[in-house]
Amino acid sequence: MAQIEVRDLQITYDTPKTGERFTAVEGVTLSVEAGEFVTIVGASGCGKSTLLLAVAGLVPVSGGTIAIDGRTVTAPGPDRAVVFQEASLLPWRSVLGNVKFGLEMQRWTRDDRTERAMRFIRMVGLANFADYHPHQLSGGMRQRVNIARALAVDPKVLLMDEPFGALDAQTREVMGDELLTIWEREKKTALFVTHDIDEAIFLADRVVVMGRNPGHIKEIMRVDIPRPRHEDVLDSDLFNGYRKRLRAHLAEDMASMHLVEGAQA
Amino acid sequence: MIAALAKRQALILGTLSMVGILGLWQAVVDLGFIDPFFVSRPSAVWNEFLAQWRRGNILIHVSETLRSFALALGLATTVGIGLGLLAGWFRDVESALDPFVWFKYSAPTIAFYPLFIAWLGYGTPTIVAIAFLFALTPIYANTLSGIKNVDRDLVRAARSFGARPYDIFFMVALPGSVPIIVAGLRLGVGRALTGVVVAELFGANAGLGYSIGYFAQLLQTTRMMVYIVIVIILGVILTQLLSFIEARTDAWRVSAAK
Ligand SMILES: Nc1ncnc2c1ncn2[C@@H]1O[C@H](COP(=O)(O)OP(=O)(O)O)[C@@H](O)[C@H]1O
Ligand SMILES: [Mg+2]
Repeated sequence: MAQIEVRDLQITYDTPKTGERFTAVEGVTLSVEAGEFVTIVGASGCGKSTLLLAVAGLVPVSGGTIAIDGRTVTAPGPDRAVVFQEASLLPWRSVLGNVKFGLEMQRWTRDDRTERAMRFIRMVGLANFADYHPHQLSGGMRQRVNIARALAVDPKVLLMDEPFGALDAQTREVMGDELLTIWEREKKTALFVTHDIDEAIFLADRVVVMGRNPGHIKEIMRVDIPRPRHEDVLDSDLFNGYRKRLRAHLAEDMASMHLVEGAQA
Repeated sequence: MIAALAKRQALILGTLSMVGILGLWQAVVDLGFIDPFFVSRPSAVWNEFLAQWRRGNILIHVSETLRSFALALGLATTVGIGLGLLAGWFRDVESALDPFVWFKYSAPTIAFYPLFIAWLGYGTPTIVAIAFLFALTPIYANTLSGIKNVDRDLVRAARSFGARPYDIFFMVALPGSVPIIVAGLRLGVGRALTGVVVAELFGANAGLGYSIGYFAQLLQTTRMMVYIVIVIILGVILTQLLSFIEARTDAWRVSAAK
């Protein structure tokens, strides 16, 4: 059995205005093996975050099932950790305090916390910034803290929702590189949402392409680029092929979006 | 660096304008434009201050007012923060308290003065009660809004690590609300002092408000001015103290907003 098993998932949201329930994700089935790196791409609003948050146990499931190692997900658990965008760090806590937060929540013994937090702060290269507060750090550094905070609780599955979405292109590439290095060493299962096609391919064993209305999986594309990967693969023919395939999907989505908007106008 | 410079400049300008006002006050009276009966004059006020000080009157009245102020502020802080935390966390408590809040916003507190006299008698208890009601609203309202408007992103992140409601309250909502609660306290300090002085004007046996009213009735403008100036200086000192604390607790928020 795969580590993450999503079967025929449906997620609906309350819409207070109309009183009806809005279907954000429907009929999604996906298996992720232990140690696999799976990225999710798709136009904005196609339910990428919803799917990820459902796996995290932060959004209730309205149909189908999600299971981690055979256990049905009903709430967040120590087997999963989420890396959010930068704004999710506690602004009044230092880097060390933030990385310790997850350990405190999961009731790690007091003596272990600082030592363990420092280990992961060193891993993401912030040893000299442990006493800094988030507002004193750059966007890239804040995301390192977010990654350290998630890794510190020793999850089996790392869930990431556009963690580098707010960073500039160059920082983003560096962070992607480092994330791969860490992932290869830590052997975590990774589910990573992005809207950046290159990032999706570069990181992934498989890329899940999602479409809209309601959110569903259009294709799951295997990426056969050997690891460890370096930035020069971005220029290879193989990579270009993947890139074209994903672009075609997204172009299709954009076109259908215009049609819908045209019809409404 | 620039901020420090700007701060110093603000201080210098503020001091200059204060000195300017004092100079103008002295000048218009000395030159005979305004009868000193209405406003006295700075030099006379200063001399009277020294005289009152030597007789020990200033200390008696300041400590009387400060005592009522401390009692009222302490009560308002305890009740305001306590109720604010409950109402911010439990929607039902907020709904239950809402009518009182509206009532307090729309009805002038001082109108209840006679009622308090009837209940609590003439003197300190009534003064403290009035000042307590003056100070309560901003402390309660700020605490409530701090807890209620807790950052959704932070709550979600905390929940993802398994935080229970108890953890979210103490680890996320409460620390995130400290700056706005302290801002509420700063407003409460100013209002508590106002409340004490106003209530003392109406009826007391000692205190700054009492002294202002007493000398006003005797038409002794200079003496009255001494106590008015003391009230102003006390208000500035207390509010500045809270602003200082506020700036310290607010550091992460101010910089994060940039
Ligand atoms: N909390 C929510 N309440 C109501 N609708 C929501 C909520 N979160 C997301 N949605 C809707 O669900 C759809 C999918 O959203 P989301 O999963 O955030 O998409 P993506 O991450 O792919 O941009 C969107 O139409 C969005 O408006
Ligand atoms: Mg999203």
